[in-house]
Amino acid sequence: MAKFDLTHKLGQYLDRHLVFPLLEFLSAKQIYDETELLQGKLDILSKTNMLDYAIDIRKQLHPNAEVPEDLKIKRAQVVAELTELQNEVELVYKLMQNEEVMQTMETMRDPKVLLSHLTKEYDFKIDMMDNLVKFAKYRYECGNYSVSTSYLYFYMLIMPPTDKNYLNVLWGKLASEILVQNWDTALDDLNKLREFIDSNAFANPLQVLQQRTWLIHWSLFVFFNHAKGRDHIIEMFLYRPNYLNAIQTMCPHILRYLATAVVINRSRRNALNALKDLVKVIQQESYTYRDPITEFLEHLYVNFDFDGARQKLNECQEVLYNDFFLIACLDEFVENARLMIFETFCRIHQCITIGMLAEKLNMNPEEAECWIVNLIRNARLDAKIDSKMGHVVMGAQPASPYQVLLERVDTLSVRSEALQNLIERKVKAKSQDVSFSHVHFDFNLIMPVLTEPMEQ
Amino acid sequence: MSRFFATGTDSESESSSEEEQVQRQPAAAFTFSDDEEETKRVVRSTKEKRYEELTNLIKQIRNHKKIKDMSSMLSSFEDLTRAYQKALPVIAKEESGVTPRFYVRILAELDDFINEVWEDKDGRKNMNKNNSKSLGSMRQKLRKYIKDFEKELTTFREAPDGDDEDEAEEEDVDSDDSDAKPVKKTVPKLEQEKAAKKPTAGDDGDESDDSMDWGSDSDTSSSEDEEDIYTNIRDRFLKKPEKEEEETKREKKERRDRVKKREEEDDGGVWETVRGGVAIPSEKPKMFAKDAEIDVNLVVRKLSEIMAARGKKRTDRREQIELLHELQNISELHNLGPAINFKIRLAIIAAIFDYTPKVSDAMKPEYWTKLLDRIPDAMDVLLANPDMQVAEEILEEHEQFDQEPYQIRGCVLTVVERLDEEFVKLLKECDPHSNEYVQRLKDEIKVTQIIDKVQTYIEHQNKPAEICRIYLRKIEHLYYKLDGTVLEKREGRMPADTVTSVDVMERLCKYVYAKDNTDRLRTRAILCHIYHHALHDNWFEARDLVLMSHLQETIQHSDPSTQILYNRTMAHLGLCAFRHANIKDSHSCLVDLMMTGKVKELLAQGLLPQRQHERSKEQEKIEKQRQMPFHMHINQELLECVYLVSAMLIEIPYMAAHEFDARRRMISKTFYQQLRSSERQSLLGPPESMREHVVAASKAMRNGNWNACFTFIINDKMNAKVWDLFSQADKVRTMLKRLIQEESLRTYLFTYSNVYDSISMEKLSQMFELDKPVVHSVISKMIINEELMASLDDPTQSVVMHRSEPSRLQSIALQLVDKVNNLVDSNERIFEMKQGNFFVRGGGGGGQGNFRERQNYNRQGQDWGRQRRDRENRDRENRAY
Repeated sequence: MAKFDLTHKLGQYLDRHLVFPLLEFLSAKQIYDETELLQGKLDILSKTNMLDYAIDIRKQLHPNAEVPEDLKIKRAQVVAELTELQNEVELVYKLMQNEEVMQTMETMRDPKVLLSHLTKEYDFKIDMMDNLVKFAKYRYECGNYSVSTSYLYFYMLIMPPTDKNYLNVLWGKLASEILVQNWDTALDDLNKLREFIDSNAFANPLQVLQQRTWLIHWSLFVFFNHAKGRDHIIEMFLYRPNYLNAIQTMCPHILRYLATAVVINRSRRNALNALKDLVKVIQQESYTYRDPITEFLEHLYVNFDFDGARQKLNECQEVLYNDFFLIACLDEFVENARLMIFETFCRIHQCITIGMLAEKLNMNPEEAECWIVNLIRNARLDAKIDSKMGHVVMGAQPASPYQVLLERVDTLSVRSEALQNLIERKVKAKSQDVSFSHVHFDFNLIMPVLTEPMEQ
Repeated sequence: MSRFFATGTDSESESSSEEEQVQRQPAAAFTFSDDEEETKRVVRSTKEKRYEELTNLIKQIRNHKKIKDMSSMLSSFEDLTRAYQKALPVIAKEESGVTPRFYVRILAELDDFINEVWEDKDGRKNMNKNNSKSLGSMRQKLRKYIKDFEKELTTFREAPDGDDEDEAEEEDVDSDDSDAKPVKKTVPKLEQEKAAKKPTAGDDGDESDDSMDWGSDSDTSSSEDEEDIYTNIRDRFLKKPEKEEEETKREKKERRDRVKKREEEDDGGVWETVRGGVAIPSEKPKMFAKDAEIDVNLVVRKLSEIMAARGKKRTDRREQIELLHELQNISELHNLGPAINFKIRLAIIAAIFDYTPKVSDAMKPEYWTKLLDRIPDAMDVLLANPDMQVAEEILEEHEQFDQEPYQIRGCVLTVVERLDEEFVKLLKECDPHSNEYVQRLKDEIKVTQIIDKVQTYIEHQNKPAEICRIYLRKIEHLYYKLDGTVLEKREGRMPADTVTSVDVMERLCKYVYAKDNTDRLRTRAILCHIYHHALHDNWFEARDLVLMSHLQETIQHSDPSTQILYNRTMAHLGLCAFRHANIKDSHSCLVDLMMTGKVKELLAQGLLPQRQHERSKEQEKIEKQRQMPFHMHINQELLECVYLVSAMLIEIPYMAAHEFDARRRMISKTFYQQLRSSERQSLLGPPESMREHVVAASKAMRNGNWNACFTFIINDKMNAKVWDLFSQADKVRTMLKRLIQEESLRTYLFTYSNVYDSISMEKLSQMFELDKPVVHSVISKMIINEELMASLDDPTQSVVMHRSEPSRLQSIALQLVDKVNNLVDSNERIFEMKQGNFFVRGGGGGGQGNFRERQNYNRQGQDWGRQRRDRENRDRENRAY
């Protein structure tokens, strides 16, 4: 199953700390060799300050070996540095402890006013903010995410977006929120960050592209954990050309997540359009990226190869089961995928044997019949079951020419009306214009009269 | 600017200059260089220079006077006064403020002349407008100007002096010049020497003669001058009388020889071959004075002296080359170091380039081969000395020849670029079907080797702009060549780490993308890159590059040669798409090329005879310059065939589906024309040409007869004509077969669906020899897209048609609705146009959208229905975000 594992690709665009959950997940799934994974974790940890964790893993990896001396020394160093930094931000810490201050801060919207207020009242200096950011970063490096969240929150209340650290703080905040699994705030931060990036603060387009790619990857955590995430993911990845560009150029593997989101979001309003757009993108990128999920859609909507789609659906299940982000929506995906197959099938056929259908949907015949009956009962399908022959007979009939005619004429009247309205509005505007110009004209006439006496 | 850059040197002036060369005393300019003369020049400087200027202008004015060319006279006069103004300080110093007599004389002459002309009323009337206008202003100006010189003028008029004498003297000089013609062989040595001296000293010989008569102190100096020469010569005679005599003889003989040769040249004889060995050694000895110690400075001075003559009308270009060779030999003999050596080599190369006077003409093959020898030599010298720096920015004064790091002014890059251009010109000169062309084409290896050498040098220098330029040269030699190893590598027959031309292209182009800041190089690099990808069947890469570059929107603003390259690229992209069975893309790539019917011109593969208006000569010349050399041509028949076949595969099913549709539109005009012209014929024979084959195939396909269609498209004749031109012809043929089967099936279903109530898929798959899943997939697609009113019946494996055939009334009503829809559309559009888009945003959006879609349809790249993507920073600025 390692073939379809994307961790190594995703990892390139994630923060070290964000990779841990992925690695944990992988070790739980036991796709890779455990020691290799542990070694990988250790490598990642070596550049963070989470030394306790590193020592744990080292013990796991070499149960008999002593903890090396330098790790211990480093640990002491880290602690010392931490306290030092802590001292430097003591004042801010106190401020944050103060309920009253926090309340006033939250009520005050304008950062400038807030800043002057703080300086006046509490002997606050703007220089402290640099230290604050450093400290928050350090805390984050140590794995103390919730603390750094609150510090960064404080920072963002005070500092204007033009500050040099602002972007870093936004990223840090997002990462910490993700790691403490605070999905609501994480979503807010994500949107803030996206707006910041899109507002074109960077001169270099390559940099923007890179930032977007990172954002796309980080956002996966939020989108697949937040309740509303699935709507957002489609909206952001598929309907923002910048992000779609970024996906196509930098990371076509994201298409897996996009495809899954579209499939499980079938009940959404524009699901059909989204599907069409997605299939187009998948086709275009088919030469750079393909996996069972994109192939499933391709089989179903490009080639109408139901057998192929069925096979791919089987593979999809496995892929989903082994994907950190997607494992939660496995059932939903399978259900929706089945529905998609069935729906397409029904649109093409007028008479289907239940046995064949069951085979195509990976179900046994009884189950399938039950499922279809449910569908019919819920009025999502206009069909009847011929149980003697074991057939499903579709009820839909093509529109008669008369109906076609009516439909076309229908839109006509609407459009004409719109046009008429427009013209009317235009005429109205024009007549207003005319009266204005009259007034103006008269005024001109008056002017000389007014000036003449003054000259005399 | 050297004359080489001047575009329009017409042959007339050329021939005249050639004549001049014949008259001139050859080799005179540099044979007698001695230090004395040089110092003399320095002395002469300020005063004589000014005076020379004045006398020249005076001469001009006299000439104008003779032909009564008032306007030129006016301008010369203005120049004269200006020059006099400049000369004033000198005059004040040298002649204690007395106006020189010759100046006063010309003023007097002018005054008289103008008055005379002015009085001559009839003559004035007959003058053309320009002249009479000039006359008026001339008169006024002169009057004003003369006021300052009134005193001098009166004194002059009192005692006018030897005007006639002067004239005579001048004539004398002229005749002297003409005496110097080499034809006259009996002239005594001395006089010949003197005559030979004349051109060296330029006009100052004349001038001194003039001034002698005017009786100023320049008289004495000039006579001294004269004497100097004599003494010089005498010295020579005294020093080595015997040798001299010998030399004189030899020189005479040689001169005679040369005259003969010149005559031969005029007759168009093959003089080159005779020349080779004889001339060079005979001219050897006179480069430097005998006893001069040859060092770097001397050589450099000599070199600049030779180079100073470059581009002048009277210099013999061939001789220059020889002189330079001579100089090179000397410098090598004296071991003056690589820098000077290289400098001279550069000069030689430049001189060889100069040999061909006209830009539009190709150079002579023998000079071409010479170039091919010289340039690598020079480059070897350059590469052997890594700390030698050759650049355009180095000024002459800062050149360093004697010690490291050497600094030389010059540019190897332009040399190579020029070489490349010459190569193309040479190729175009040859008949492409002759052996000569092949022979010439073999030189390309050498050219590319030179480019490689220059590339290593420039890479070493590390100047991005120049690296880009040399890379582009390399790219342009690479892009149109098919590298077989690419395909072998793809099939795994070669190890994966073989470096193919695709990899090389990738590397070069990426460098250009990143480092270039002139848009042109980048555009060309992208186009070549796309071309190369398309050539090697890298369809996706090629397509992505096209879409990312957004070139299709801006290409019409670029220069013609880039546009031609764009057209060539699109043609190959179309072929590539075709090979990949992307018929629609192929069609949309080629449609712009084929629609005009001017493929030949668009691809620069030949001039079309024009019907409406004749091209002017100038225009024809320019167009000829743009033509591609033959080995880079794209087969037009192949192109047209691919286009027509892809049009057929799209158009025929479409026609069948929309047979009764009021709004049917043509997808391919050219294809329609072919169809219609065959329909017009009353009697149809079996197809002969490629077009007839395609037309016949289309007709077969219209009836759903895939087999007939297939045999018309693919048979021995068509194979020989078209399909075998593809490198993987068999693959293309199987692809075509499948496509023809599928499209025939579609056409069949569209055409005959109203006859059937139901039809078994089994039967269909037999009829079209397709696999059942394919039939299923094709039919499913048609049902989903609502092209076919039918549905599948699973138990019986058949297609059930839904009879929804509209009655006559209904179909007419439908058509009416369509038309009314059109009306509303156009109304909305009109409203929009009148209105701008102020309120339309929300309402009427449908109409707007439709309109845009239609507009987009014809534009390539956009109808590919693809979100554009920007892989790198290109065009990102254009975005709205």
